[in-house]
Amino acid sequence: MAYIRKRNKRIFLIFLLPAMLVLFLTTIYPMLYAGYLSFRSYDLAKLFVPRVFVGWSNYGEILGSSEFLHALVTTFKLMAMTLSVQLVLGVGIALIVTQKLPGMPLARTLLMIPMMISPVIVGLVWLFLYFPELGYLNYFLSFLGFDSIPWITSTDWALWAIAIADIWQWTPFVMMGTAAALQSLSPEPYEAAMIDGNSRWDVFTRVTLPQLKPVLVSLMFLRAIDAFKIYDIIFVLTKGGPGDSTEVLSMFIYRQSFTFWRMGVGAAASFVSLVIIVVLITLFFKSLNRDQVS
Amino acid sequence: MTRNLRQNILVYALLAVVLIVFMTPIYLIVSSSVKPSPIMFQKPPAFLFTPTFEHYHDLFAMRPFTKFIWNSLIVALGSTAFSLTIGSLAAYAISRIRHKRMNDVAFWILSMRMFPPIAVVVPYYIIFKSAGLLDTPLALIIVYSTANIPLTVWLMKGFFDEVPLALEEAAAVDGYGLLATFWYVTLPLAAPGLAVSAVFCFIFSWNEFLFALMLTGSEAQTATVAVMSFWSSDAVQWGRIMAGSFIILIPGVIFVLTCQRWLVRGLTMGSVK
Repeated sequence: MAYIRKRNKRIFLIFLLPAMLVLFLTTIYPMLYAGYLSFRSYDLAKLFVPRVFVGWSNYGEILGSSEFLHALVTTFKLMAMTLSVQLVLGVGIALIVTQKLPGMPLARTLLMIPMMISPVIVGLVWLFLYFPELGYLNYFLSFLGFDSIPWITSTDWALWAIAIADIWQWTPFVMMGTAAALQSLSPEPYEAAMIDGNSRWDVFTRVTLPQLKPVLVSLMFLRAIDAFKIYDIIFVLTKGGPGDSTEVLSMFIYRQSFTFWRMGVGAAASFVSLVIIVVLITLFFKSLNRDQVS
Repeated sequence: MTRNLRQNILVYALLAVVLIVFMTPIYLIVSSSVKPSPIMFQKPPAFLFTPTFEHYHDLFAMRPFTKFIWNSLIVALGSTAFSLTIGSLAAYAISRIRHKRMNDVAFWILSMRMFPPIAVVVPYYIIFKSAGLLDTPLALIIVYSTANIPLTVWLMKGFFDEVPLALEEAAAVDGYGLLATFWYVTLPLAAPGLAVSAVFCFIFSWNEFLFALMLTGSEAQTATVAVMSFWSSDAVQWGRIMAGSFIILIPGVIFVLTCQRWLVRGLTMGSVK
């Protein structure tokens, strides 16, 4: 370490500077700007109304509106739907593809493809599958004895239609993380548990799961942060409809800002979403630090 | 049948179901892109048909799709180059400075990529509008760097941590300055990290949709936005959509097939080793 002297330390700080500066200008500054806008009446539909300071009224408006609260609830509902299925399916598939059998590495690789596909393309291919009258999904399901489901045209199903597309794309993420963790587990506790005559299920719940827990917690936080931002798939599949059944927070902000041109209200909603995401990120980092300590 | 054989058959049967479910949408993109329009939704689906390249012909001959792909390439390559330069320098500093606040700096940088894009799209729109940058590749290059720099910093930090300090000290003894050491000794040893970061940055930018939709018009439109525009309520041109989708998904698929072992590290931000 001797060679990292004081003088060098200063040069290192210069190395760090451009990144900090760029991130400040491109992320912090726009966020502060959103904060500034959220206290103004910035209504592009009314060109000649001056953009005046309006205090907390934009916040009052969104927090008092059932639309905004509905969007917030829908966001968390969708998060709960996708995360729970992804967790169970992802761990299940990881258990299959980590078996020491021929073909498994190839299967793992193939299953990672959905994650690298643009969310718009994911939305479009699921639209193709869901398409009313024509789509193949109902045709496939009819073999399993299901009635035709109005995927994207019914308020009961639209949120599930979006959840399924997201689950398809991101279950591989949980699978991949869990598989990597499973392969790094030490074999001794298993041998001991097997010798003690425990059933496979007991070994899984008492030996495997506790060891996987920190990884699963991290994976779920990363998924939650992403689920909170979900946008593209909804934009392609339902645009928030039918009615407001799939209007999550990002769609609410989009519509307020770019359909009604009420930038001030959109900015206030953005700021509320920033606060929520900061909480999620902080919890995530806390959980990471705890792992590193223990 | 032994217990083991039966178990293996069960495992493969489950795997077959999983693979069918997860691969069908990808198969549909590929097959529909070369399926003649009249049998696009034919049931039961035609598995054997004479492939047609009319959709690709339409895509390139009737629409300026080449231009949109070109835009996507410029934006993705531009943002990748910019993010790698700035990001790897910062990562090197974070990896070498021993200070208890350094961890916080690293987390701060990482958190920058987790914010919801929709929350900053309004300010971006207003800022770029007043700067005259709306509908230019430069706007997207700047915006994508906000996600790509943190990713590069985080990935490269891991690679720099693995470069033995003894080598750098030896270079210092030989009279190399800090920049020379970084350029001639450390960076070549972390070259795989640069490659992985570059691919992640490229694919993120290539796949992005929201900002591209909001901040570009007819000039700087990227391929993802162009494909979406073939969707209109009166006549959905599924053939073209699928042909465009197939072209867009090529880089991602190549990445998965060639360097899947880096995916874990890149996507989980190092929370899974």
